[in-house]
Amino acid sequence: MKIAFIGVGGCGTRLVDRVVRAERDTDRSVTDGNVLAFNTEPRAFDQTTALAADQRILLGDTHPAVTRRDSNDHRRNGDEKSVDSRERSAETDTVNSTKAPQETSSSSDNNSDDPSAQITEYGVGGNPEVGAQVAQADRPEIRRALDRIDETEVAAVMLVSGLGGGTGSGVGSVLLGELQSIYETSVYTLGVLPARVEPDRRALTAARGLRTIVPQSDSVFLVDNDAWWQNTDSVANCYESINTMAVERVLGIFGAGERDHMSVSEMRIDPADIKRTLEIGGVATIGRQTLDIEVQSEGLLARVLRLLARSPSTDDVPVDASTVKNLISQAVRSEMTVPCDISSADRVLVILTGPPDTISRKGFETGRYLLEEETETVEVLAGDEPVQDATELTATVVLSNVTTVPRIDQLQRRAVTIQKTIDSSDTAKRSSDTEQSDTTSTGQQRNQSTVEKSAASDEFDFGDIESDTSS
Amino acid sequence: MKLATIGVGNAGSKLIDQMIEFEFETGRNLCRHALVINTARTDLAKPQHIDEDRRVLIGDTHRKARGHGVGGDAEIGAEVAKTDIDEIRRVFDDVEIHEVDAVLVAAGLGGGTGSGAAPVVIDELQKMYDEPIYGLGVLPGTYEGGRPALNAARSLQSFVNKVDNFIAFDNDAWRSRGQTIEQGYEEMNEELATRIVTLLAAGEVDESEVGENAMDSSDIMRTLDTGGVSSIGYASTDVSVTKEGLLAKFNESEEVQSESTDAAKIKGLVRRATNSRLTVPCDVSSADRALIVFAGPPDVISRKGVESAREWLEQEADTVDVLAGDDPRPDSSTLAAVVLLSNVTDTPRISEIQNQAVDAQNKIQQQDAVREEEIQSLITDDDNDLDPIV
Repeated sequence: MKIAFIGVGGCGTRLVDRVVRAERDTDRSVTDGNVLAFNTEPRAFDQTTALAADQRILLGDTHPAVTRRDSNDHRRNGDEKSVDSRERSAETDTVNSTKAPQETSSSSDNNSDDPSAQITEYGVGGNPEVGAQVAQADRPEIRRALDRIDETEVAAVMLVSGLGGGTGSGVGSVLLGELQSIYETSVYTLGVLPARVEPDRRALTAARGLRTIVPQSDSVFLVDNDAWWQNTDSVANCYESINTMAVERVLGIFGAGERDHMSVSEMRIDPADIKRTLEIGGVATIGRQTLDIEVQSEGLLARVLRLLARSPSTDDVPVDASTVKNLISQAVRSEMTVPCDISSADRVLVILTGPPDTISRKGFETGRYLLEEETETVEVLAGDEPVQDATELTATVVLSNVTTVPRIDQLQRRAVTIQKTIDSSDTAKRSSDTEQSDTTSTGQQRNQSTVEKSAASDEFDFGDIESDTSS
Repeated sequence: MKLATIGVGNAGSKLIDQMIEFEFETGRNLCRHALVINTARTDLAKPQHIDEDRRVLIGDTHRKARGHGVGGDAEIGAEVAKTDIDEIRRVFDDVEIHEVDAVLVAAGLGGGTGSGAAPVVIDELQKMYDEPIYGLGVLPGTYEGGRPALNAARSLQSFVNKVDNFIAFDNDAWRSRGQTIEQGYEEMNEELATRIVTLLAAGEVDESEVGENAMDSSDIMRTLDTGGVSSIGYASTDVSVTKEGLLAKFNESEEVQSESTDAAKIKGLVRRATNSRLTVPCDVSSADRALIVFAGPPDVISRKGVESAREWLEQEADTVDVLAGDDPRPDSSTLAAVVLLSNVTDTPRISEIQNQAVDAQNKIQQQDAVREEEIQSLITDDDNDLDPIV
């Protein structure tokens, strides 16, 4: 199914970049160039290799709350502008007055020359309210960019964002509204949840982000950094492998049937199958399991024999019924992109990718039926993606609208705790600070920055790690 | 019989394609017109024996389908067929209906397109023509799950109410090991095509001798006239050896004995056809009418055998309405017996599908009822302390 990918924020940008690279590597054409990335911080584009200049959109140039590195800090286009905005912001409004101290504090914490120890203080400074404001102010620019997506070519649009980020959640929320109003097609989100080791403020942003992003999306695929966290020596490698996993799975679904050379299969998955699975809304999660298929040593001879007798009446197929059934069953028991109670799933989709001439159809059907029992829903669609001569067989399972997701509850509890801390310190501050008693949104921004200060010591952004932080 | 055929959805299209292939292979001429209708553009490329201009894509302008299928949703299948009914009618306009005896609509009842769109098409055909419209429907297997069962149970009602007869095929009865995903339902389609074509093509051999006991189209139509659900049995035997053996028989000069052997063979064949896998398993005695077609070289069809086979079936089916006739195929190397059991009312598989469908429908309704509430509670913290961003 053809689908446009729209990344927002550092994390979203990197994931979209990876999607484009992955579709090239696997001979699929899923996006057909319908790709965009929105950021409030130019450096987020630095790690992308597959995005063209006109696919990268920098927002917030004129917004007072958006900060840029100054020109000697980093050499890149538009630096003059950013200095500008920085200067302007330095002397204006409430937002900035709370930002200024935080900037200094964190830039003293991490040597800002070190690209790995990056920072959320640039761009929208991790503040989703600022993100939302920026996106609202830059609406014309956003619409111009969205014009580059050929809606007649794609069957859906996927927003990709790190939900803990100010740009990811803030800009993302507004962008979603835009996408829904512009496009007739389904609009999905691929959202990344922050890990426990990430700062509190990101947890709060993510928990709040879910409340705007889930209702506005036709479906939200979640990836839980926590579930996939590995104690490797390198944090960057860890994110790298999570991203690889997420992209592989998403393409495993939307890329099914979009390979350059493929045979026509009777049970092929249709875009309508995917859309129907997702149309109910809510949160979706993806499981996946791969099996190596032994290629017979007498390969050529066997193949010729098979060709001579097109429909062998033997009872043996290379991948027999129980193997296929077990593979499907393992896929739903595998680590999902976000762990959940599988019986809370509303609809299910299973895709089998592999050589169609070796896979038992009976096993495929039995495996599908098993899913119906385990997930306690009758809405289980199944199809295959034929890959001739493949040596692997992969089952990809989508559980749509899962409603028992412990990780979300956890995130919410953490967010509530931190918000309460903010509220109490905010009330104290508020009483001493009379000139800022205006809007609630200003209050929120101040909350956010307070949190940031407290979290500054262990701070890193999922989106912003360029290389090994252990260096 | 001469037929206009329409395949709706993936399974239906494949079936019609397979029927035409079998016709070609056996020199029969049954399907005078063939048309396939689908909601997925890619699936329309699959039939090999249907002309490009006889493949109709429906629903390509529908918001949810857009030429990509209907995702197993029978409601959308029906909706897009209704929207595009003019287009379907236009393609059917070229069909010279006076040249055909009946129209056959084939569909898989588990999927969204077949179960949803086919009844709409049938409705339209019934309005347009006086000729009988027969349905050929594939019932989903248990393992295909609750949604297909629900589609099938609902579609079956529409089909049986609207068509003049519904010939059922049960995937479960034909499920077997050893088939790969690539082969898919090919083997089953071949089996079904063989049965349908052998039955309905009786009496349509070009320029061939018309035997005195030849089956006539009107006989078949009369048998199907009952309405309801029908099942077909089939058995065949190799007769090429018998021809060689004929010489041997003369040598032994025991013609009387050979006649009785042939008669026994014929009766055995019919017995096998009835007791073997029927297209849909049923209690034979619940049949309303029955009919036997013998297709093969006329010289091996023993009159005595035909009569005793007919009598046997009369008893088995517990009805006096049993017709038997020949479909002479002088060049054929096999002798086949096809048994049509019309309006069988005791079919366990259909009851099973209905039960599965009721459970599925209950489950779906329960899910629908709590869906929005559950999503809200998922994204909201316990005390609703957290605000959305925008």
